[in-house]
Amino acid sequence: MSAAELASPSGPLRTRGWQARLLPLGWRRWTLWLLLAALVLVMLGIMVYLAGRYEASQVQSRLERDTSDALSDIRGGLTRNVQSLQALQSSNPSPNSWAIDAAEMLRQHRELMRIEWRDASLRTLAHVDTPYRGNLFGRSAVDGQGGRDRAQTDVSLACANARRFNGPAYSSSYFVPSSDGLGLEVIEMCLPLINSGRIAGYAVASYALQEVLANLVGRQLARSQEISFTEADGTRLALHGSARRGVRMFTAQQLLDLPGNTLVLRLDSWHSAPSLFPNVMTALVTAMSIALVSVLVLLAKDTRRRLAAERDLADALAFRKAMEDSLVTGLRARDLQGHITYVNPAFCQMVGFSAEELLGHGVPAPYWPPDRVTEYEQRQAIRLAGNVPPREGFESVFMRKDGTRFPVLVIEAPLINAQGLQTGWMSAFLDISEQRRIEELSRASQERLQATARLATVGEMASLLSHELNQPLAAISSYATGSMNLLRHQGASAPPDLDMALRRIAEQAERAGRVIKSVHDFVRRRDQAREPVAARALLEAIMPLVTLQARKLGVRVITDIEPGLPEVLCDRTMVEQVLLNLARNGMQAMEPCDLAQRVLRIEARKAASNESSGWLEWRVIDHGPGIPKEVGEQLFTPFFTTKAEGMGLGLSLCRTVVEQHGGYLGFEGQAPRGTIFSFTLPVKKGPLPEAAVAAAV
Amino acid sequence: MEPSPDATVFIVDDDAGVRDALAWLLRSRHLLSEVFESAEQFDAALRSRPAPNHPCCLLLDVRMPGMSGLALFDQLIERGLQAAMPVIFLTGHADVPTAVDAVKRGAFDFCEKPFSDNALVDRIEQALQRSAEVLAQHRQHRGLQVRLTELTERERDVMRLVVEGLPNKLIADQLDISVRTVEVHRSRVFDKMNVKSAVELANLLRSLG
Repeated sequence: MSAAELASPSGPLRTRGWQARLLPLGWRRWTLWLLLAALVLVMLGIMVYLAGRYEASQVQSRLERDTSDALSDIRGGLTRNVQSLQALQSSNPSPNSWAIDAAEMLRQHRELMRIEWRDASLRTLAHVDTPYRGNLFGRSAVDGQGGRDRAQTDVSLACANARRFNGPAYSSSYFVPSSDGLGLEVIEMCLPLINSGRIAGYAVASYALQEVLANLVGRQLARSQEISFTEADGTRLALHGSARRGVRMFTAQQLLDLPGNTLVLRLDSWHSAPSLFPNVMTALVTAMSIALVSVLVLLAKDTRRRLAAERDLADALAFRKAMEDSLVTGLRARDLQGHITYVNPAFCQMVGFSAEELLGHGVPAPYWPPDRVTEYEQRQAIRLAGNVPPREGFESVFMRKDGTRFPVLVIEAPLINAQGLQTGWMSAFLDISEQRRIEELSRASQERLQATARLATVGEMASLLSHELNQPLAAISSYATGSMNLLRHQGASAPPDLDMALRRIAEQAERAGRVIKSVHDFVRRRDQAREPVAARALLEAIMPLVTLQARKLGVRVITDIEPGLPEVLCDRTMVEQVLLNLARNGMQAMEPCDLAQRVLRIEARKAASNESSGWLEWRVIDHGPGIPKEVGEQLFTPFFTTKAEGMGLGLSLCRTVVEQHGGYLGFEGQAPRGTIFSFTLPVKKGPLPEAAVAAAV
Repeated sequence: MEPSPDATVFIVDDDAGVRDALAWLLRSRHLLSEVFESAEQFDAALRSRPAPNHPCCLLLDVRMPGMSGLALFDQLIERGLQAAMPVIFLTGHADVPTAVDAVKRGAFDFCEKPFSDNALVDRIEQALQRSAEVLAQHRQHRGLQVRLTELTERERDVMRLVVEGLPNKLIADQLDISVRTVEVHRSRVFDKMNVKSAVELANLLRSLG
């Protein structure tokens, strides 16, 4: 595997894909079949070959057996002849009587060409020639024994051997030409004649090799095969029988070991080519059976695999069904003409139409709002033109069967079939009305917070203004009243107009005070109903805005609310303002710090300092540079601010709100850096709030 | 009822205009006043002199830099001075709930700025009267205490039984003394406690608590 494949997580998968591409399924199947056929053919060939081999070996062994038979026939014949020759001497014959007996013997044994009786010094005492051959040795026997002279050496050699063996001995073969131009291969056999322990003479018999083959070997052996004597070097000496020539020749050779001479007996047999047909039949039947069994096994395997695949498919189908049913995402497939080919239950539920109503439905779809059909058709036309929609989807509006509309998020992807062709579009739908509603809610709550903030600021301003104006008004009123009192003490001497003017001054001052009060009351006239609120709920209400700013300023916000805190009784929106203000101040205070140090902690815990512990303490802790002393002294003074765009009302407002709840807002430095702003709020069963409520209404 | 001529009104307000105007107004009604510009200043002045023994009251602004009016009021409560020196809070609209709360805790009253001045002065006079009453009560208690300490052990026993309403004879029996002696003790107790009858004596002791 290459490095790139190693690196890619889908490496093995891709490799498999590559193989699949090289050998598609069909191809693989064909290869298997071809392989099977080739195997069957090879088997067939081997079987035919083996059958032929077997047949040949049968023939060969029969031939070997025949050769052995022939050999033993020859040996037996030769031995019998030796005995017959000995029998000729048994009755101390005279040469004449011996010749009669010998001639008789020659008549019976056609293989013998001549028998001689020689004395111990090899002189011929008597001799008889075979009657069947004319005078074989006679042509050159004009001078008596001249024809035999050439054989004298062989005879004397054989007789010397015979003397040594003290038994019959044979000479090597030699050729005797006959008068008809042919000739015979002849061997001599010399038998020592022993009389009272002494060699009295020799009986010499000449064998014609061809006749030996013709007469001593069984007839049936020579019928279908050629029998021949050969020398060791293969030179054929004599031949008998004639076989039918065939395609194949089988040969068997055995040695004929005679005393003094060794000949090779050879049998040649021609055989027709082993008959192919029955062998092929057997082989075919066998092969067919094997093939059949293999095919059956393969089929069984295939069926099993098919069943498994079917089961898997059924499982996969069930799985897919369950998946589709459990999905809340609507799924819809359309073909390239825009006809719906598939919808899942979630989609049906979403639009309120049943699957039967939708399937096959073309453009315009029944869930399209009628007034948007044109727009949607254009969109679909663009899609069908092959433009892939954005991956993140687009928003659209669908209409339910009952006519209500709802926003959906549509994500479309081309539907590609197994051949890689696009057959349509698969779309996923998310009903985002709930999401919209939540967004709306969160926006509303954000707006509410901001509106409250504005209102609170205005209120605080009115409060401050009224306080600041009330001081001089109070002074004016006091002076006027005092003056009137003085005038009254002086009695009638005082001018009456002055008294009236002073009364007017007091009245006008009072009027101004009433105006201010009414403005103040108008601004402050908000539902100040205190409600029990959990600390966490307060925090959660402001967290969206806090995190928004935190992200902008790169601040990490940590919240820590002690578990088991009781609910606080408070004007929820105002307290939210306080928390929000303090959190914002804290985050802004950290702007000059390193990013790592920008951590804002918001904590809520039971206030330990208070005797009844009916108080809850909120702490907003920043890690900014801290508050310089001179700033700290003026911190809560209205319209005092360190920010360029600030109005200087935030902290003042915070303190007002907290004090209205009967709590206390303060700050302290934190070691090594930063500031802790803390304020307290009464818990639900606090001793205080009813007075505040009474006054606030 | 005219307040005693030595009655003093303490004014604590950070706003000089308000302070002076109030002082002027009070002077027009023949009331003495003393002004302080902060709670701390008043506190210091209060600590530097003995507890007031003439009627007085305190006009206290709720919202001031530094120590607030409420904090000062808490201190007065702690020191038990709020009875002899009734506190009237001066407040803007915003501080009304706080002021109401303060009244619940024992402040004499509160007054929203701008006030209708003579009504305020009337209220101040009432406060001074309360102060005078409290002081008189204090004084009476203190006199009573002094007289009680002048009684002998035996006289105190006799007095206890007399207040319980026992006749002389039973008192004599209980204390194991003669009726004559009881009568002597009894007349001496009446003498020392400056009362004419047993009923008067019982009332006096009950007022002491």
